Amino acid sequence: MKKVMKSPLQFNKQYRQVVGSVFYRLFRLFLLVAVGYTIISPLLQVISNSLKSGADFTDSSVSWIPTSLYWENFSDAFRLMKYPQALLRTMLVPILSGLFEVVSCGVAAYSFARFKYPERNLMYVLLILMILVPVRITLLPSYVNYRYFDFFGLSKLLGKVVGKDLTLNLIDTPFTFYLPSFFGVGYQSGLFVLIYIQFLKGIPKELEEAAWIDGAGPVKTFAQIIVPSSGVAILTVSILSVIWHWNEYYLSGLYFKNPDKYPLAVAMDRLVATVDLNHNIPSPVGTMMAGCLMFILPLLVFYLIVQKNFIKSIDRVGIVG
Amino acid sequence: MSLKTKKARGIERLKIRYGRMFILPWFIGLLLFFLIPLVSSIAYAFSKVDLSNGISMKFIGLENFKTLLGTNPDYERNIRAAVSSFFTSLPIILSLSLIFAVVLNQKFRGRLLARAIFFLPVIIATGVVMQYIMGNKIGSSGSASGAALSTALGGGDSAMRFSAVLTKLGLPDRVTLLLNDYIADVFNLIWSCGIQILLFVAGMQSIPDQMYEVSKIEGATTWEEFWYVTFPMLGNVILLVLIYTMVDQITAYDNPVMNQAYDFVGKNIDMYGDSAAALWLYFVIVGVLSGIVLFAYQRVFLRRWN
Repeated sequence: MKKVMKSPLQFNKQYRQVVGSVFYRLFRLFLLVAVGYTIISPLLQVISNSLKSGADFTDSSVSWIPTSLYWENFSDAFRLMKYPQALLRTMLVPILSGLFEVVSCGVAAYSFARFKYPERNLMYVLLILMILVPVRITLLPSYVNYRYFDFFGLSKLLGKVVGKDLTLNLIDTPFTFYLPSFFGVGYQSGLFVLIYIQFLKGIPKELEEAAWIDGAGPVKTFAQIIVPSSGVAILTVSILSVIWHWNEYYLSGLYFKNPDKYPLAVAMDRLVATVDLNHNIPSPVGTMMAGCLMFILPLLVFYLIVQKNFIKSIDRVGIVG
Repeated sequence: MSLKTKKARGIERLKIRYGRMFILPWFIGLLLFFLIPLVSSIAYAFSKVDLSNGISMKFIGLENFKTLLGTNPDYERNIRAAVSSFFTSLPIILSLSLIFAVVLNQKFRGRLLARAIFFLPVIIATGVVMQYIMGNKIGSSGSASGAALSTALGGGDSAMRFSAVLTKLGLPDRVTLLLNDYIADVFNLIWSCGIQILLFVAGMQSIPDQMYEVSKIEGATTWEEFWYVTFPMLGNVILLVLIYTMVDQITAYDNPVMNQAYDFVGKNIDMYGDSAAALWLYFVIVGVLSGIVLFAYQRVFLRRWN
């Protein structure tokens, strides 16, 4: 029989490991709880405020739990935001734009990731520039661009021939979002192109080369090899695109002038002003918070439905390259 | 031999054509919706813009920039503040989200719930609701109900509560103030980490398991494993996150320079030229800084890892 003797050094090492791992677990728990609290608490605050009556806000003894559940806030917000109409108008925009972006950014990224041509580096610089330039810099020119929309001066030229103004007014229409998404332009689209590029770098080239040798053209290779193997990247991009288009209120606030055409995000953005104009709202703050909840509710439902797949897809998306 | 190279050259030429073919739609869109507005906005910065009747411009050279720097002491201060916050928040956000991603990537009970919570800012932080939550929207609206709301929320409510606790602890005022600033920042920083965490976790998941097995056999500790396997393998993802974070910081709507440029337009419609000048000067400064950061990162890190 052999006696297993632990050398003091070994023992020390083991001991250190155990202590270290306990400390680490405590640290992790602390981190998760602290950060979780930072994220959850403002949301709880919104929920609690949305159920408070006007009197609850001035009563200093009420902090988290309202004296009674004041549901009128929701009906007020519902009415002021013209919720059902705005919701219906808004639903289509993220879905269509997302669809466009998934395709257009994927095509552009395929060109960046797989082909070498003299202009590629210039294009890459333009891509980075498109992402970096703040939206506000091109605000007015973009507005003018959509107000008198003109396909490279062709409409103007044609208009001169016909004798009528043929430029299109795209203000107050969702085309202000469909068109850039269709071409994959805009800073969010630029980020999607980058994400796709990283992903495509991770897909082995052998399959494509085999397809090339078998005589498949680039379109066929793209449709039958690249698209089926990038499911996870497509999922990630489409989810982010839907979320970002749903939340977009800054540009929409500029492009939509008619209150009857407001997308939901703009209606939400203007709720402070709307509440101020209506002096008979019993609980203004509660109404705003109720509006917030009603605005994120569809998004939360969407998130809950896809989040399992989403988190799983993040588990598998290969963007390391 | 020569036949082969000829054929290879043919394929090369074909690939050039296909590459251009696939980039063409994007480039058309880029011209229409980005480059044309971009160039006109540069033109605005050097002109007096009159919006009263359509758009008319008169070229006035550097006049806008001169008035901007000559008569607006705020502008310079705002730029300095924006640049310093750019350089402080960039490393903090990057390292915070990397730490969170490492934690979320481990196996522990309740991991799914933790992830669902950590990704919530991805949904909310980009939207208008965030402004309501932080009290920015309401505080700046200057309305009666706005004022009521911002007192109700205390603008970044958790931070307020922490500061109340700190005062109760009997710390000197100076320390409380300092800590309070940091805590308010932590709140902002955590809320702006969502996408970064997401990208990092996605990147970590795609590091092949074999790498970790090998490093275990070689006897690496977890710490070494992180620095010699995870971190270098994330090189490209870090680049992606870096770009995203920089854009996020530069273009944030609560950025002082942005607000000032916006105020020009809000106050007086004739000031669009000045606003464009203010934004362009800012962008050139920040753009050059971001360029340096990106270039340095690529040179120092990516090259070494490759």
